[in-house]
Amino acid sequence: MATSSGTTSVAIPGQLLGPASKFQPGPGTHIHNANLYSSLLGVVHASQPAKPPGPAKRLTKITVPTQTPAELPTLSVSRTGVSEKREVLPEVGNTVLCRVTRITPRQAVVAILICGDTVLEAEWQGLIRVQDVRATEKDKVKIYESFRPGDIVRAEVISLGDQANFYLSTARNELGVILATSEAGNNMYPVNWKEYMDPETGLSELRKVAKPY
Amino acid sequence: MSDRRRINGPVGATIPPVSEDGASREVAGSRGGRSRPPNAIRKMYLKTGVTPSASGSAYLEIETSGRSGVSGLKLSCTVHGPRSLPRSSPFSPHIILSTHVKYAPFATRQRRGYLRDPSERDLGTHLEAALRGAIIADRWPKSGVDIIVSIIEGDQDRETSKTQGDESWDLMNALSGCITVASAALADAGIDCVDTVAGGVAALVSDKGDASPSIVIDPIPSEHDRILAACCIAYLPTRDEVTNLWFKGDLPASDTELYTKLVEKGIQASAKANRVLVECLGETVG
Repeated sequence: MATSSGTTSVAIPGQLLGPASKFQPGPGTHIHNANLYSSLLGVVHASQPAKPPGPAKRLTKITVPTQTPAELPTLSVSRTGVSEKREVLPEVGNTVLCRVTRITPRQAVVAILICGDTVLEAEWQGLIRVQDVRATEKDKVKIYESFRPGDIVRAEVISLGDQANFYLSTARNELGVILATSEAGNNMYPVNWKEYMDPETGLSELRKVAKPY
Repeated sequence: MSDRRRINGPVGATIPPVSEDGASREVAGSRGGRSRPPNAIRKMYLKTGVTPSASGSAYLEIETSGRSGVSGLKLSCTVHGPRSLPRSSPFSPHIILSTHVKYAPFATRQRRGYLRDPSERDLGTHLEAALRGAIIADRWPKSGVDIIVSIIEGDQDRETSKTQGDESWDLMNALSGCITVASAALADAGIDCVDTVAGGVAALVSDKGDASPSIVIDPIPSEHDRILAACCIAYLPTRDEVTNLWFKGDLPASDTELYTKLVEKGIQASAKANRVLVECLGETVG
């Protein structure tokens, strides 16, 4: 991410940023009549495309140099410096942190708290269905052996979902419960991929445990 | 009054009596007469970020015409959201706007109730139409945003009697202010817009001295003898698009191009208001 010099300027909605043939649209911009316009009030950033990794190899074949869209710098308008508040919508593929609010045999209802590295202002509701809890032995998954209300869960957004819920999945090793409270009310520590243990009572409880990073 | 939850003030006008001494007669005598050129809008003050608890907010003040007893327009707008829709609402692939325009009870000569009356609902509908054309709605699926405009001072001459001037013309000025202030608040809230939208009013007025009616922009009803027709425009300057047009009144049939001229003047007024808006947004970031 290299910011080219002289491009950190202020943009207001509807401001012309440049022709669409020279820049790629990033967040906070839109294209109209083959031109790139700002759609947010904020600061313009131009990021150069990442160079291909590794040293340049000796040419073994001759290719026609083509200007692919990936080689264009991306212009984006961000709201850093305008206000600290930054509302984002969870998108498919994002990793979110959420708290379990309700469990039923078929699904766990969660409240999404953090999306990526942004603390959300509004409360968005998510749903982890029983078939999305883990990747293997899906038919043997029981929701009450995976989540309990009050647990903090790291999950991935797999769908925009229906009118009320985002659909989330914990079907990866590093996804699952990261913070759990025992029935006695103590914070527990993970012992293996499906168990948390209460340090005071010594009892273990079943969870879909997230692999520590 | 259907509002039984609050202790309401007296219904009806609450204007102190104006004693008829020399000064007031002079004021009454000098009524009328526009102090600005026909194609100049009044000075306005716009500031964003006035309400810390809201996602975005703005405050707009338009100067008075300079005489005592005439109040300008004071508007405060708050934007809440984007936030999740209530559970009962169906799936929406785009953002759902809900606009509320409310006169403060003390904003106008005639005291307003706490509940929204039909004219305020009408303003809200017009405001929604004006903003919907400017917002990129599909950037925020499954979300809703509330836009609330409070009219703190309603741009009315308190010294004219109730029979003078028609309140319906004041709604036009109020709507154009609402559009401008809501646009600033939306930009402050970080909701994607294709352009900044601003409101402008043009009116066909006839004064006693003039032979034929003339077109002015940003009219103050109390400064003219009669307003024949008026139109309020919401206009996107860089796109050159009109998102809302509200026309009211009767045009003389003699000039067929009068309607187009009136709309053009409305666009001109809107473009002038937009310059203030752009300046204000620039200051917000800088």
